[in-house]
Amino acid sequence: MNKTYGEGETAVHALKDVSFSIKRGELLLIVGSSGSGKSTLLNMIGLLDRPTSGKIFLDGIETTTLNDNEISSFRNSKLGFVFQSANLLSDLTVLENILLPRKIQRTDENAVDDAKKLLRTVGLEKQMNNRANKISGGQAQRAAIARGLINNPTIVLADEPTGNLDSVTAEIIVQLMKSLVKKLGQTFIIVTHDKHQFGDVDRVITIKDGRAFEEEEQRGMEVAAS
Amino acid sequence: MDYRVHLAKRMLTNKKGSLIGAVLAVSIGILVIHVNFVIFQGLYDAIVRDLKDYRFGDILVSNDEDYIDKSDIALINWFERNPYVEAATSRLDGSASINATKFGKRTEEFRIPVLGVDPLRDTRASAIHNTVGDGQFVFARNSLVMGSRVARDLGGVEVGDNVRLKFVDRHGEDQLKRFVVTGITSSAGGQGLDGSVIVHIDTLRSILDRTDETGTILVKLNDPTKAVEIKDLFLRSFPSDDFKAETIEESAETQLSGFRSGIALINLIGYFGMMSSAFAIVTIQMMLVSSKTREIGIMRAIGAKRMDILTLFLFQGMIIGAMGAAAGTGLGLVYTFYAKETKMQFEGSLALEVTYNWEKIGQTALTSFGLAVIASIYPAYRATRLLPVEAMRTV
Repeated sequence: MNKTYGEGETAVHALKDVSFSIKRGELLLIVGSSGSGKSTLLNMIGLLDRPTSGKIFLDGIETTTLNDNEISSFRNSKLGFVFQSANLLSDLTVLENILLPRKIQRTDENAVDDAKKLLRTVGLEKQMNNRANKISGGQAQRAAIARGLINNPTIVLADEPTGNLDSVTAEIIVQLMKSLVKKLGQTFIIVTHDKHQFGDVDRVITIKDGRAFEEEEQRGMEVAAS
Repeated sequence: MDYRVHLAKRMLTNKKGSLIGAVLAVSIGILVIHVNFVIFQGLYDAIVRDLKDYRFGDILVSNDEDYIDKSDIALINWFERNPYVEAATSRLDGSASINATKFGKRTEEFRIPVLGVDPLRDTRASAIHNTVGDGQFVFARNSLVMGSRVARDLGGVEVGDNVRLKFVDRHGEDQLKRFVVTGITSSAGGQGLDGSVIVHIDTLRSILDRTDETGTILVKLNDPTKAVEIKDLFLRSFPSDDFKAETIEESAETQLSGFRSGIALINLIGYFGMMSSAFAIVTIQMMLVSSKTREIGIMRAIGAKRMDILTLFLFQGMIIGAMGAAAGTGLGLVYTFYAKETKMQFEGSLALEVTYNWEKIGQTALTSFGLAVIASIYPAYRATRLLPVEAMRTV
């Protein structure tokens, strides 16, 4: 896929011929320096933006042809999001925030039980009735992860999930996501500028100047360059 | 409860300033309508009440072309047999030139309307006797109740003074008659007989040589809503007579039509006020949308459709509308209650006829609720146009 902002001489090619696939249950890191296009790529996968050309298949569905309502439903049921800042709704409690994707889906059956189970998994059961703006950054990020998981999505997309956290809290979040991959078999695509924070992961894709390279390719290029 | 209602409620309660502002805008719009209604409709109803009490009754019977020559007693008895009729009385209208001698000086002569009344029946069927402040109502053949304006124009005529009236009878002959002023009538709002004089009907009949003739029959009902029914029954019962029977709305049409246009105009101003409050809601809702841009982005990102966002802000409009309508109606009712209990007066004299018009109250509340919802459509639509990625970048 390609993504270009603007036209003519002022056009910025944010993504150039990016092509990759991800298996169910994998933890994929997308790394790259600031402005390399990794967040743009995540927005494309998350259907928050449309590619200029190319196709994105999720669960065998070509998502680039979906209309706005279908995209919304798709995002709600197939994708979970964790943003750099937790992006919880400050007007709601932690529990209500986690329930929100389910409420949007209008499938209330066992919703509260599922949400409480997830709150236990992320260690927030005591804070569930606190207002979202009354909890710490780490707790908010854990709540955001729980919210991302409530609808059993195909993929959880995390954009710099530890970017706003101190190193200790960041480590807790990293371990939480890795444990979810192991325990639940949940697929994660995580954008980060610090791949070392995540240690061993299934795959790493590096974005450089809008182009994507698998870690092996990248290593090969580095060897060739030296 | 629908999550959008819940969220709309939370968003509003966490923005108390905006909520109070929007609710106040709606309630002030309603309050303006209520105040207008209490004052102007109250004034209109007070005028109708006074015209009915003093001049026209609930039904006014006259002859289409001339005087009524049928026995007034027979007609009054016909009406009073009806259970919805409280009382009826006959009246005769005329005119005369009047002058008086005050402190040895004769005042300039001028013409005035003269009303002949049956004192006993009139006190039951009309309230004109209550307007006699000084002295008493007509009680003898030569007694006269003078309107306060006439008394003033005659140089300050008082109870006990003599006045001379010059009539022209049915044959065109001048008839002079002296009366003793037994009372001065003055009505708040001037809908009474402040510019006329009142004499005994038999005296007037005799002077005009119209014995057994009557000008009008004034009928007072104990249930005014039956006016049309009784009027129609009367006209059906006397098909061969040239009677004209009119309800207060018909007989006072000339006096009331102007007021009605005035009230319609004032109400229009009130509704314009309500429209202004709708613009205030648009502004406040736009501010709310602007302050919730990030939240809208998050909701869209996790799967909320444009329709969900639209509905969310329309629910906010409904909450504002409902709260504003309740507050405005409550304030309006308190004001109406106060006006009714204190017998609020127009310019310190005419007691307003304050009524609770539930249809109007409901209509006003519904209109303002509807306007609040309509006023939320554009801000809600704007909210739906936000792109999730850009909206989430908003701090």
